[in-house]
Amino acid sequence: MADITLSPIPARQRRFQSLFTAVIGHRFLGHRKVQLALIILVPILLLTILAPVLPIQKPLETNLRAMMQFPSIEHVFGTDKMGRDIFSRTLAGVEVSLMVGLSVAAIALLFGMVLGTLAGFYGGWVDRIIMTVVDIFLAFPSLLLAIGLVSVMGTGIVPVILAISLADVPRFIRLQRSQVLSLRSRAFIDAARTIDASQYWLMSRHIVPNTLAPMLVAASITAANAILVEASLSFLGLGIMPPQPSLGNIVRDGQTYLEQAWWISTLPGAVILLIAIGLHFLSDGVRELLDPRSR
Amino acid sequence: MNYQAPVRTTLLEVRNLRTEFQTPKGIVRAVDGVSFTIERGERVAVVGESGSGKSAMAMSILRLLSHPGRVAGGEVLLDGRDLSKLSERQLNAVRGRLVGTVFQDPMSSLDPVMRISRQMIEPIMRNLRLTQQEARAEAVKWLGKVGIPEPERRIEAFPFEMSGGMRQRVMIAMALSCQPQLVIADEPTTALDVTMQAQIVEVLKNLTAEAGAAMMFITHDLGLVARFAHKVAVMYAGRIVEFGRVEDIFARPQHPYTQSLLGTIPSTSMLKTDRLPQIPGMPPDMRFPVTGCAFKERCAAAHERCFAEAPLLSDRGPEHEAACWLPHGLDETADFAATRTTRPNQPFEPDGSVVVEVNALWKQFKTSRKVVVRAVNGVNLRVHKGETLGIVGESGCGKSTVARLLLGLEKPTSGDIFIAGLAQMVFQDPAASFNPKMTIGDIIAEPLVVKARGGKAERLETVRQLISQVGLDPAFAERYPHQLSGGQRQRIAVARALALNPSVVVADEPTSALDVSVRAQIINLLVDLKQELGISFVFISHDLLTVRYISDRIAVMYLGEVVEYGAAEEVFADPRHPYTRALIDAVPVPDPAIEGRRTVAPLQGDLPSPLDLPVGCAFASRCPMATDRCRMEKPVLPNHELSRQVACHYAH
Repeated sequence: MADITLSPIPARQRRFQSLFTAVIGHRFLGHRKVQLALIILVPILLLTILAPVLPIQKPLETNLRAMMQFPSIEHVFGTDKMGRDIFSRTLAGVEVSLMVGLSVAAIALLFGMVLGTLAGFYGGWVDRIIMTVVDIFLAFPSLLLAIGLVSVMGTGIVPVILAISLADVPRFIRLQRSQVLSLRSRAFIDAARTIDASQYWLMSRHIVPNTLAPMLVAASITAANAILVEASLSFLGLGIMPPQPSLGNIVRDGQTYLEQAWWISTLPGAVILLIAIGLHFLSDGVRELLDPRSR
Repeated sequence: MNYQAPVRTTLLEVRNLRTEFQTPKGIVRAVDGVSFTIERGERVAVVGESGSGKSAMAMSILRLLSHPGRVAGGEVLLDGRDLSKLSERQLNAVRGRLVGTVFQDPMSSLDPVMRISRQMIEPIMRNLRLTQQEARAEAVKWLGKVGIPEPERRIEAFPFEMSGGMRQRVMIAMALSCQPQLVIADEPTTALDVTMQAQIVEVLKNLTAEAGAAMMFITHDLGLVARFAHKVAVMYAGRIVEFGRVEDIFARPQHPYTQSLLGTIPSTSMLKTDRLPQIPGMPPDMRFPVTGCAFKERCAAAHERCFAEAPLLSDRGPEHEAACWLPHGLDETADFAATRTTRPNQPFEPDGSVVVEVNALWKQFKTSRKVVVRAVNGVNLRVHKGETLGIVGESGCGKSTVARLLLGLEKPTSGDIFIAGLAQMVFQDPAASFNPKMTIGDIIAEPLVVKARGGKAERLETVRQLISQVGLDPAFAERYPHQLSGGQRQRIAVARALALNPSVVVADEPTSALDVSVRAQIINLLVDLKQELGISFVFISHDLLTVRYISDRIAVMYLGEVVEYGAAEEVFADPRHPYTRALIDAVPVPDPAIEGRRTVAPLQGDLPSPLDLPVGCAFASRCPMATDRCRMEKPVLPNHELSRQVACHYAH
């Protein structure tokens, strides 16, 4: 009784799509904001990775004969008061920044997904306990919370990551919970329940895959934000401690010499700005790609 | 208003109207050269499926289209004045004053934070130049006319304090209160129940006639058209394919689309062994330009010329036009016969064993500590092997809760449910019942995977079999739900429900989200499967004609109780409960001759709240024959072993 004829399936509708294409789609590289983001981020990323093999002075190496030098071919971003190469230090700082950004995004995503899904799916006392804690954390401004935590836990890259994550995780839990709540009443969940699917099956097969997209958008915004918070903490002397370079403490170092050597602060500052702009374009692009109305 | 008998002069003239929607994937020509006229006082129905451009056409007349849409050309003459040349400001004076509008969704077309009085009085003051008091009196008068009880008090209500039917009445009162010459009603009853639909249609019909206003009524329901239209415009793929007087359209349809559409409605005289005539395929994708006639792929009589050239509307008699190359459309004997098929005569013999047994089922929902919604109140049901039980009733009667209880999606408050074998479900909205991130193959295989049936290769084979069993190409397994049309998705939903060889399939409004032309395909599929596989069905719907066609037995539900039960034919031929009678009366029959003879006395009022059920008969508040006994003493359904049961003191 086959009475419907079928046009050939488009070749690109292949069965096994990677997670990436399943979530983001095929038009990722063709989207203008994504392209803009990649134009900004890819060179920064490449330089950071290649930093050890580039013919530049090492970040911690001092050269007292070349202090506070104006940017030149040899020192692209100039040098600081101890004759350290700022370009090299900036790249090392970017490495720290990216590590902080990605770690915070990953931690927030992981805990947000797990706890938010549990709270939304089970409701009741599970929800109440998780959400009470979340609400308490959300009552503090995130930067203040991070400052407080770092002053308790001490400085260094791991405490910074933990402090920033702790401020961001509650937001992710809230987002995930609200998504799960709206998915939970959808008919396909009922359809799976009529075949006695386990609760683990419902969550892993039906709920989590459908929450992934907005969570990824939130994660890319959070990564940008975490980089700014790390810079702020380091600038305030609470984050990464000198001599280890981070974008924030380089800017702080240069602050004193702003009138004699403006480049020490401004050029790394511009890099912070570029990374933040790039990540925001990326998240904006991803958000637009995921919005069904834009299709 | 000094109104006299309808003068036969043209009120609205639409010439070659074209509307386009700019989408990322190209320009959609939603309305592609539509021309017609409406005389003063005339009621014109515009019929078409979703995507046929009927709503876009109505919106274009008043230029109410929002962003991606725009009127690309054509003229709209209202009383000789070209609306397409007016400024937005002048147009605003036309909307509301000369043309009143009623939209589909009464829930969203009133401002939720404004009292009815504020939404009604101000336009009346402005348009009729009345003082506040006069305007208020006028508004109250109209609310009374549309049947709002206690209009002086209810005018101060907020929209959320009213039911859907009430809100739609308010919309009608608002549309008519400024004494417009034309009322445009876009699917005004689609969101409402049959009984409410009958009330609203009566109100619209009587009041526009009284005010002498013309009406353009957009709908996909041919029965409604027969009930009240003077003329009918049938739209397909952005064009009018047939236009004429209602009697001509129903008695002598000339376009194959109209002819097929009329055939897909289950008629009361139809034999159950006949399949519903169905229109194959689905409407064309309007993103691509159509060469030739847009209906050619689905038309039994399509020939070479239809593929090359699109036919224009041509005369087929007095005030009757159709756009088809053939002089009379499909030929009754040759072309039509192909769509009329009969099922093989009952290969499956029911052996009388009971598959579903429900005893004294109660379900209450606690919405807060004190409020208890009594959704199902003591229901007994029995479904035999290979039998279809139809459950009908208005929304809020508990029929969907019964379905969810049968599937174990809700736990009964008390009572037992026995199911011999397994129950599976087909949901109402095929767009929401699939996980958008899974392929069709994975969706169908999911029950097998969860129940660990068979190996991977075996499952793949089962999936392919199931897909072809529901009439689709197995290659669909690779696709994603959003790449399928509504009808195809509903077929997949059926395939999935069959995966575990269930003994009973519960279908909750499986066709109500589908287009009319596709509906018959799904109904035929369900009936065919029932006979082939000997599966029992519980078919829940408010579409009584379909329920009658598909069901062996019918249970009529009202406020969580079964009020009448019996063989489908008997219940329809001889309804004994006054509620059943009212329901059947409310259903419009797609035949203007029958509708003309009928005197419709629609059921008045709303369903009582399930929060606070009456002591006596639940139906007493709306029953024309209710007595004090009904209000004090609750009639009970007799012994459920009987083949015919009625819960009424006065049923014969």
